[in-house]
Amino acid sequence: MAPETPPPRIACEGVTKIFAGGTEAVRDVNLTFEPGRTTALVGPSGCGKSTLLRLIAGLETPTSGRIDIAGAPPSETLRHAGLSVAFQDPSLLPWRSVRGNIELALQLARQKAADREVEDLIDLVGLGGFAEARPAALSGGMRQRAAIARALATRPGLLLLDEPFGAVDELTRQQLARDLPKLWEARGTTTLLVTHSVSEAVLLSDRVIVLTPRPAEIVADIAIDLPRPRDPDGLRAPDAAALIDRVVAALSEGMALPDRGIAAQ
Amino acid sequence: MSMAASWTGTSLWRIQASRARALPGLVVLLIGWELAARLLTDAFVLAGPTEVLAYLVEDRALMARALGETLTNAAFGFVIGNVAAIALAAVALAWPRAERVVTGLALLVFCLPLVATGPILRVLYGPGAGPQVTLAALAVYYTTLIPLLVGLRAAPSSWFDLVRSYGRGRFATLVHVRAMASLPYFFAGLQIAAPAAFLGAMVGEFTGAERGMGVLTVQAIRALDVEMTWGLATVATAVSILAYIAIGALGRRVLLDAPPVILAAPAGASRGRLAAWVDAGLVTLIAVGAWWLALLAFGLNPFFAKGPGDVFAALVLDDDAAETRAALAAALGETALFLIPGYLAGLLAGAGLAVLLILVPMIASSAMPLAIALRSVPIVTTAPLVVLLLGRGAVGTIVLVAVMVFFPTFVASLHGLRQAPGQIMDVFDSYAAGPVTRLLRVRIPAMLPAFFAAARMAVPASVLAVTVVEWLATGNGIGSLMAISASLSDYDMLWSSVVLVSVLSALGYAAVGAVERRILGTYAPEQLA
Ligand SMILES: Nc1ncnc2c1ncn2[C@@H]1O[C@H](COP(=O)(O)OP(=O)(O)O)[C@@H](O)[C@H]1O
Ligand SMILES: [Mg+2]
Repeated sequence: MAPETPPPRIACEGVTKIFAGGTEAVRDVNLTFEPGRTTALVGPSGCGKSTLLRLIAGLETPTSGRIDIAGAPPSETLRHAGLSVAFQDPSLLPWRSVRGNIELALQLARQKAADREVEDLIDLVGLGGFAEARPAALSGGMRQRAAIARALATRPGLLLLDEPFGAVDELTRQQLARDLPKLWEARGTTTLLVTHSVSEAVLLSDRVIVLTPRPAEIVADIAIDLPRPRDPDGLRAPDAAALIDRVVAALSEGMALPDRGIAAQ
Repeated sequence: MSMAASWTGTSLWRIQASRARALPGLVVLLIGWELAARLLTDAFVLAGPTEVLAYLVEDRALMARALGETLTNAAFGFVIGNVAAIALAAVALAWPRAERVVTGLALLVFCLPLVATGPILRVLYGPGAGPQVTLAALAVYYTTLIPLLVGLRAAPSSWFDLVRSYGRGRFATLVHVRAMASLPYFFAGLQIAAPAAFLGAMVGEFTGAERGMGVLTVQAIRALDVEMTWGLATVATAVSILAYIAIGALGRRVLLDAPPVILAAPAGASRGRLAAWVDAGLVTLIAVGAWWLALLAFGLNPFFAKGPGDVFAALVLDDDAAETRAALAAALGETALFLIPGYLAGLLAGAGLAVLLILVPMIASSAMPLAIALRSVPIVTTAPLVVLLLGRGAVGTIVLVAVMVFFPTFVASLHGLRQAPGQIMDVFDSYAAGPVTRLLRVRIPAMLPAFFAAARMAVPASVLAVTVVEWLATGNGIGSLMAISASLSDYDMLWSSVVLVSVLSALGYAAVGAVERRILGTYAPEQLA
């Protein structure tokens, strides 16, 4: 189960993004992501998480600073279809079925996959039996899961997930939290997970980056050295609880910064 | 937001699915028609459904030949016009900076008065089906181009991001996203285009064709043959409605979702005033250049093929320029007296009735399918009837223009009113707001964009209506001036009126667009974003 493209090392150097209207969404982010690891970006809503993800995906260009994926700019990775994004809004094409949407990703990446493999992915995200359903017939959570399956279909070296479980119900979310890490570990995928859920970040990742309210700046970089496989129930164990507390403390610290969050209200 | 809404929003088809509800309305219409005909037998203006049917059965061979001819011309024009629309949309898409120039030129051509382009095309083509097919193509390409342009952009940006995230470019976006996303809009355009092509072919046949429905219509009017006039109008109406329904059915087979009711793109104000003037200048320059080059390239006889220089001379330089200008101004003045009241009355009646109906939902749901069907009727083909009924005076003409404007406005307004976003309505419900409050605060602002789109498209349509009636029947105004110039071979006058009418129509369209921007800026600013 090797990925189609080897997992890359990603480096952000002094990345700042100021939108045309003057909104500064990301400020001076310096980060390196090691290949094959899962990193969570945690921060309050509207802080600039999606923007940072889109910068890394090459969908936005930094106002200043540099992003480098395996020695090249993101646009190069895009060209080789070495990355996939599961967007915050599932963005399924309404005229295609679940299977059709997954096949679209393969078409766009100019890849072929066995029907069996697509079928397995659909089962993995718990949509078995809905392969031929159109997005309009699915719930919000089901659509998000279809988008996750689509992102996995091209076996990307770099997987970018933007709040992928926002609308997924609790039980299914726990199921996915068990199954997805197994898949990306087996594939050696470098994964970047944007979330505002602290427990989700601790449960799924090897490392949590905590961001301040807008413009996003790094307040903490916390290694999550819990053994795998992990179980959602395991979050109640003392070492996991301590990590969660650290992340929460870092979030509060960010909110308390003079020009942000509570202080800025 | 509003773009994705077309995939989830109110469905024209849901309304059409209830077509059965139009039946009672239709029956009432037929009975009323028959009764009126019986009452007015001595007036020789109105033939009832039974008389029309008898006439059609008796003269079925003649009618079938004429219909076959007109349908063939309309079909050719329909295909050519739509292919042209697709090509123009492709240019605008491939080269976004050119879009305003492309649409500006397209509008100008769409504003050409068919009544005068008909005779001009006749002398250029000589005998045959050339003018009919050309006019049919001219009548349809704009109604397809505009929805298509809207549709090609009608996708949330995340769909484009998705394609980009796999490193693919504009072509993949076109194939995988834009083409499919535009289909509902494309079908909405085609649906309006089908009856328009029929109308274009008929008007083309008015200008000295040998065969076809248009030829028979002219004969019927000249001979004051009431049954024939009504018979022809009935056939034209039926054909138009059937074409409209057929394309709707085809769309339903092909698509998941209903075609949205979009008659014209919102008048975008995103670019500056200066850019707008630059574009307008470019459009004028290209139009004049293309006109001049076409005459040169085809080596046409300068006696009837006048160039931009000839028209300028006729209007400004020649000895009799002042007389020409005076004649044109007098004719335009006469026309304006019919056109403006008719246009405003049509808008007012369309929007007014839609607002009234929305307060009585029961009636609205059965009036809608009937109105949609009647919107597809090329009102101009019924011009002879209106003249028969209301005489050759002002009332008949004004009514015809108003009717021409009424149906598209009514349908668009009703759609806009119904499109009021559900959640907002829920909020108002939760405050127990009465129907009038909701109407004023939510529904009418939601209606405005569709209303104005219809109002803009109605400008060239009403010019067409008024010039056709003047030409066929009343004998005054610019329509009649063009007809007389054509028959007297006064080509200077004819070309000058074509230029003047087109430019004035395009300016009228732009003026409505300016009012639209003003009002939307106040009531529905998100529409301009
Ligand atoms: N394309 C854009 N143009 C202007 N501002 C934007 C754009 N995208 C996002 N923003 C702004 O940047 C800020 C961060 O947005 P985002 O990255 O989506 O936050 P998050 O994903 O953390 O909730 C917000 O204030 C948002 O309004
Ligand atoms: Mg986000």
